Amino acid sequence: MSDDTLTEELQKAGAEPLLPVEKKLIAGSLITGLLLLLVLGLLARLGGP
Amino acid sequence: MSAVIKSPSRLDGISLSPPRWNEDGVALVIGLLIFALALGALSGTDLLGWVVTTSVWTDIGRALGTAGKSYAGLGGAAALLLTYGALLAVLSGAAWALRLPVARFALSFSLLFVLAYGCWVVGSFGRLAVVTVADRQKFGLDWSLRLTNEGGYLVALLLGLAIANFWPRLALFLREAIRPELYIKIAIVILGAFLAVTAAGKLNLASNLLLRGVAAIIEAYLIYWPVVYLISRKYFGFSREWSAPLASGISICGVAAAIATGGAIRARPVVPVLVSSLVVIFAVVEVLILPWLAQQFLSDDPLVAGAWIGLAIKTDGAAVAAGGITDALITARAGLDGVHYQPGWILATSSTVKVFIDIFIGIWAFILGSIWTNVINPAPAGQRTKAIEIWQRFPKFIIGFVVTFGATLLVALYGPAPFAQKLPAAIGEANNFRVIFFLLTFFSIGLLSNFAKLWQEGFAKLVAVYLISLFGFVIWVGLAISWIFFHGVLPPLAN
Repeated sequence: MSDDTLTEELQKAGAEPLLPVEKKLIAGSLITGLLLLLVLGLLARLGGP
Repeated sequence: MSAVIKSPSRLDGISLSPPRWNEDGVALVIGLLIFALALGALSGTDLLGWVVTTSVWTDIGRALGTAGKSYAGLGGAAALLLTYGALLAVLSGAAWALRLPVARFALSFSLLFVLAYGCWVVGSFGRLAVVTVADRQKFGLDWSLRLTNEGGYLVALLLGLAIANFWPRLALFLREAIRPELYIKIAIVILGAFLAVTAAGKLNLASNLLLRGVAAIIEAYLIYWPVVYLISRKYFGFSREWSAPLASGISICGVAAAIATGGAIRARPVVPVLVSSLVVIFAVVEVLILPWLAQQFLSDDPLVAGAWIGLAIKTDGAAVAAGGITDALITARAGLDGVHYQPGWILATSSTVKVFIDIFIGIWAFILGSIWTNVINPAPAGQRTKAIEIWQRFPKFIIGFVVTFGATLLVALYGPAPFAQKLPAAIGEANNFRVIFFLLTFFSIGLLSNFAKLWQEGFAKLVAVYLISLFGFVIWVGLAISWIFFHGVLPPLAN
């Protein structure tokens, strides 16, 4: 595939709506990540420097 | 996956045959070989003392020397030749295993080594490297740039950038030997032993560091990735095929993660290759800026600086090497204020964070692959993502890091006293190779960064996603979380 074709593809890319599974992936990752960071942060505080 | 890896070779017209080994395997063997040779010193046989070292100099005749005193009679020039010869032999073997044209590799590597090591010698020049007033007086200098001798990495990076952007034909001649991922993986295997020697003296801090490395995994995979994916999909309108490798490249570990994700979601090979180019170029910009910012603003929190570098810079080579520069800069600055930290802890933090993040690439690619091949683009039963791919995508050189770290720590803590006493010097000799592989990495990264080509291809939207994600989000969240987890944790003081 030539660079010109790729550039065109990238420039003309139309928005595809997020599928429910993508929304779940984004939200699930963020919620899990924030909760785990909170737990680790608390553990680090308890453990001290 | 294999289709993705083969494509760049096809594009470059190098080889159509599958490699006998991959870079991970080759790096594992070379790193372990150097580690094993270094351990010879424990039984009184110095097998690596001939490797070249460079001291800070004002008289070029005194710049080079040997790592081991028992080889001092060789002189610096002979040590340099021996080091070059040994690296040429071992890496030509690696080129054969990777099915690269060995003769062309040897030619390219020879010039690459000469230029890169030349940069290291220039970087050790007193005017660039001297840090303390006492050393300035010792060398009779009225001023210096205080870059430490690790400033040689930056000289190499800048020369590489200059060659890539102003002398592309020379860069083309060097291309067979431009292998930053191979060099940094070998360096990381050796680094395991160096970090273990550092950690053995302060085990409590080291175990804290490992525990806190887990936070980096969560941050990269569960915070950065979904946000970058959302920005790319919702606000820039990229397709899923582009957004997933882009999110992995920006969030996790640039090249490896983009390629693993591209393979897992069955993207066209060109997608992760382009994303990887973008990651490498931004890594260069970060290496040039972030260590100095860290020195200016995070000198009082050295391990926050180390973790931040490991989280913000998205290729193994650039992140670990920038950790080395940050270590040198902050240690030197603290030294001026009369605080003498044990060197190596900031580098240890950057590398631990990076290695922890790398470990999960295979699992993340498997999760994405399962979602894509089962839900988003359902594939025929035989083509769905399989659990074995977790192992196939696992970065094998990390096994080498774990082995050298574990073995060195065992000897340091539980080995016979004479062994434990000789261990730092033995690993120090192997560490000279680590420095050389870092140097080759820096030079190679510069050589790969043809800015003109990037603008020419006009991928402004990709660049915009990267800019917004990296400078608007990744480095700030990385800084905040590094601060939460490492604030107040200081490296031990040097004896």
